[in-house]
Amino acid sequence: MMTYIVFILSTIFVVSFVSFSSKPSPIYGGFGLIVAGGVGCAIVLNFGGSFLGLMVFLIYLGGMLVVFGYTTAMATEPYPEAWTSNKAVLGMFITGVLAELLTACYILKEDEVEVVFKFNGAGDWVVYDTGDSGFFSEEAMGIAALYSYGTWLVVVAGWSLFVGVLVIMEVTRGN
Amino acid sequence: MKPPIFIIIMLTVISGTMIVLTTSHWLMVWIGLEMNLLAIIPILMKKHNPRATEAATKYFLTQATASMLLMMGIIINLLHSGQWAMSKNLNPMASAMMTAALAMKLGLAPFHFWVPEVTQGISMSSGLILLTWQKIAPLSVLYQISPTINPDLLLTMATMSIAIGGWGGLNQTQLRKIMAYSSIAHMGWMTAIMAYSPTMMILNLMIYITMTLATFMLFMHNSTTTVSSLSQTWNKTPLVTLLILTLMMSLGGLPPLSGFIPKWMIIQELTKNEMIMMPTLLAMTALLNLYFYMRLTYTTTLTMFPSSNNMKMKWRFEHTKKMIFLPPLIVISTMLLPLTPMLSIL
Repeated sequence: MMTYIVFILSTIFVVSFVSFSSKPSPIYGGFGLIVAGGVGCAIVLNFGGSFLGLMVFLIYLGGMLVVFGYTTAMATEPYPEAWTSNKAVLGMFITGVLAELLTACYILKEDEVEVVFKFNGAGDWVVYDTGDSGFFSEEAMGIAALYSYGTWLVVVAGWSLFVGVLVIMEVTRGN
Repeated sequence: MKPPIFIIIMLTVISGTMIVLTTSHWLMVWIGLEMNLLAIIPILMKKHNPRATEAATKYFLTQATASMLLMMGIIINLLHSGQWAMSKNLNPMASAMMTAALAMKLGLAPFHFWVPEVTQGISMSSGLILLTWQKIAPLSVLYQISPTINPDLLLTMATMSIAIGGWGGLNQTQLRKIMAYSSIAHMGWMTAIMAYSPTMMILNLMIYITMTLATFMLFMHNSTTTVSSLSQTWNKTPLVTLLILTLMMSLGGLPPLSGFIPKWMIIQELTKNEMIMMPTLLAMTALLNLYFYMRLTYTTTLTMFPSSNNMKMKWRFEHTKKMIFLPPLIVISTMLLPLTPMLSIL
């Protein structure tokens, strides 16, 4: 069962994405995002990235999603649209879940699935040891590389986020 | 928009494109295109009216979809090649996805529907940036992956773009929509030659940018957005009517003007690759473009449309709009044909 844990978690990940992609009201969509964030953290944890997983909880769920929740609470409507409110949302949700369940059953039965690209059935989604990574955690080495080799990337990403806020201010200025 | 904010946002637009042009890492290509997209949204919305908001929204949605497709192509390339460098041998699936994504970003048929609507909803100067600067980054990525793109895909999109650019512009009276369809057709010419000689694509891009820049500047100088108000140019600045004549003929690709250079070179390269019907078809559908450029010329330069008497005094006033660099641009967009042998420097 533990060998299939990543596979199961990624199925739940996709189903929670479907739950907010079927466009209910943002409050319910935020709930889907919370589940997706938690499950995504678990997937990353299974690959040995404990720091990044906890970063998802802290920054993504505890920072960004909280702000999103507050802004959604400021813009509430009296009858928010849930998944069972009308046939459109329910239909999209059921279609998405069905597609994912069919893909999952197909992956578990056959050895190989080729949808857009080939991936080897459940083998790619099962955690295994990818080889000799030495005594250092790969994830920690990756984060260290971001700040040493990837300085330019950090500068560009930081600048883009700053300009993102400026753009939002300009667009919502209104005059 | 306050000047410091405007400067920061323009800097981000420019550096986004520069990052795409100078990087060798696929992720940075995606980041550069996203920076470009994000920062140009407030420029599209310079005038805060619902039409501009709608245009900016349409632009953002189509370009974000294209970025997602591009990211998918990048990750498939990573899956198959194991590394992020922009190398010449792309996986065919990744190459097809990237081509489709970049075609959406450029406004090639069948992804051209956003171009006229977005260009019409924004101000003339924002439309200028949209139709010239925003084409540079996707075309540079296409230039770098051109050896591996499926030529059939490229040629299908090119032929459809030239045809749609021609037929779509026929019934238009708004200048921005005319320029949008002109842009679709020119993008079609550029993609037609990309599979065979990417250098000609760069040549076409450079000449297209100078011609479109000059055309938009003349429209901004007259503060006109429709064909009927452009027809009153003879009142305001008679010289501009002559310039519009030469510029429109150059855009239509008539010799002896510089708009003929890219068409000539492209047809030459295509015939060198033993394609006869294709350049014939492209040249004939380019005549549709020439028809609506001729219509602009006819109403502006060749005839003096009737107007009321108070419209006949506009030449007495000083021109308030400063169009810097316009004379050199006009010279480059019309008189470059004798310098065609200098192509060997490209």
